[in-house]
Amino acid sequence: MELNTASEAISFSRELEGESAKFYENLAQRYVEGKEIFLSFAKENNKNIVQTERAYFGVISDALEGCFSFKGIDTDNYSIETTLSEGRSYVDALNVAVAVEEKIVKFYMDAAEVSKSLMADVPQAFERITKKRNERILKLRSLL
Amino acid sequence: MAILEEPIKGVPVIKNYIGGEWVESKGELVDVVNPAKCETIAKVPISTREEIDAAVEAAQQAFPDWRRTTPLARVRCLFRLKELLEEQFEECSRIQTQEHGKTIDESRGESRRGIENVEVATGIPSLMMGYNLEDIASGIDEYLIRQPLGVFGIIGPFNFPFMIPLWSAPYAVATGNTVVVKPSSEVPLSQRKIAELVDEAGFPPGVYNLVNGGRAVVNGMLEHPDIKGITFVGSTPTGRDVIYKKCGETGKRVIAQCGAKNYMVIMPDCNVQRTIPSLMTSFFGNTGQRCLSGAVLCIVGDDAFYNRFLDDVADTTSKIKVGYGLDESTQMGPVRDVEKKESILRYIEDGIKAGAKLRLDGRKPTNLASGYPDTCFLNPTIFENVRPDMRIAQEEIFGPVMSVIRAKNLDEAIDMANSTSFGNGHAIFTSNGKAARQFQYNIISGNVGINVGIVAPMAFFPFSGMKDSFYGVLHTQGSEAVRFFTESKVVIQRWL
Repeated sequence: MELNTASEAISFSRELEGESAKFYENLAQRYVEGKEIFLSFAKENNKNIVQTERAYFGVISDALEGCFSFKGIDTDNYSIETTLSEGRSYVDALNVAVAVEEKIVKFYMDAAEVSKSLMADVPQAFERITKKRNERILKLRSLL
Repeated sequence: MAILEEPIKGVPVIKNYIGGEWVESKGELVDVVNPAKCETIAKVPISTREEIDAAVEAAQQAFPDWRRTTPLARVRCLFRLKELLEEQFEECSRIQTQEHGKTIDESRGESRRGIENVEVATGIPSLMMGYNLEDIASGIDEYLIRQPLGVFGIIGPFNFPFMIPLWSAPYAVATGNTVVVKPSSEVPLSQRKIAELVDEAGFPPGVYNLVNGGRAVVNGMLEHPDIKGITFVGSTPTGRDVIYKKCGETGKRVIAQCGAKNYMVIMPDCNVQRTIPSLMTSFFGNTGQRCLSGAVLCIVGDDAFYNRFLDDVADTTSKIKVGYGLDESTQMGPVRDVEKKESILRYIEDGIKAGAKLRLDGRKPTNLASGYPDTCFLNPTIFENVRPDMRIAQEEIFGPVMSVIRAKNLDEAIDMANSTSFGNGHAIFTSNGKAARQFQYNIISGNVGINVGIVAPMAFFPFSGMKDSFYGVLHTQGSEAVRFFTESKVVIQRWL
């Protein structure tokens, strides 16, 4: 589904953050060796929601291009696969997590790029999350 | 994506807020209609002359104590109001969409802009300060103090039901005045919500009053001897011929912000990719119902640039999703009511008769989500081959209609823009600094955009306007509002 508005983009980012937070909480229960790191990611996801919403609700204005800033962003391109069947190894879990992160990073990067100079602080908030999630990917890969 | 929940349930009967009490009006009740669904969502009274008089009396009685309240104590009420507005930001925004029809992004934008005025007004202890000079003559000092005047009337329009009264009211009360607010009877629910929060914020009774209604309330304000000034946003005929004229006759201060016909001048060196979203917001945001909307797209450049640019504009415009504003995917809502839609349709017919070419015909809304009547909906319309003397290039349509004109060069574009009777929010799109400066220097417009399609000044700048777009001297918002709502008193002192 193609995004039309900033409100949709923020809702979609909230969905991604929520879904991936649940994914990490689930991993924390299943893999003791990564519990701490997975829980920290889930917690950070909630912070990402707060920061994105703060940026959006703080700058949204009748003068900004709120309804026309996310042209070309199709949510189908960023759907994440968070199911992990029983019996999968810790390494498998890490690989799934990397894939999840890469998809989410791609969403934030693309959304920041198309809305740059149109949505004030929102693209910057997206870029900050991109940076944090890229660090996550490095961390997850280092555990492989 | 989701359809957001509507905050207004049932059909409440709206009351007036006078002297700190919610008072039932004796006036006739009229329907408040959600234009997207054509459903009655509230009943609003057309208050009587006696009721506006009672509100002014309550405000007048509250004035002496409120004036004596320290500026810090006054702004503490505003800080509390700001806090409450933030807490109920989303509800306030959804009310706007429900009563007006605008998209949820637009409503949230309106909420933010309104709250920013409350924030700026909390700086009154600094903003209201006067100035002084010692020894203007030996042993003689001179200083200026700013004093509130009394009761002010604030008359709101239908297109920004939440924000526009907040361009005035926070400054008026922060400087020690008292106010009577009259929202548009088409969209009274946002101001009712604000009055509820004012009440909760702890403003003393009578400082902030709300009277719903129509002409009788406006006339009551204009003729009341205790009203010291009026702020008004609305059409030019009413602003100029009624509000400004009557305030002149009765010696009231006045700010009358009126209509517009804004040119968006496109230079061939503009950043096309970034310009087009700005144009969509400018022409079709708020369904074209705002005095800062783009109305004329004036393209400078050769045939190749013109054709390429207009193809892009028409293509993007044709994909705008029209629907209910509480559907997050909607990019353009309905117009406010069927009479306004009919007026827009008449302008489109007029443009066709005058020889303009319909590039995109928005008269019949298409792809409207099922379940919504098309009563108040239109699709965006684009006219080509428009001449500057046509009515569609001269008069304010107040709807989603773009009139495209070509200009040989920037000078000609500026001349055409300056030939309209309005001067509100013209803009240029260019990557050339010299062209931008030439435009800024020569254009007759109170607000000027450079690569910005909606030139809405922030709360700490005045909302300006020229020619038929503005009547008055000082403007709403920021330090000019502080001056409007205060009298400068100059003291010269010598101690013998």
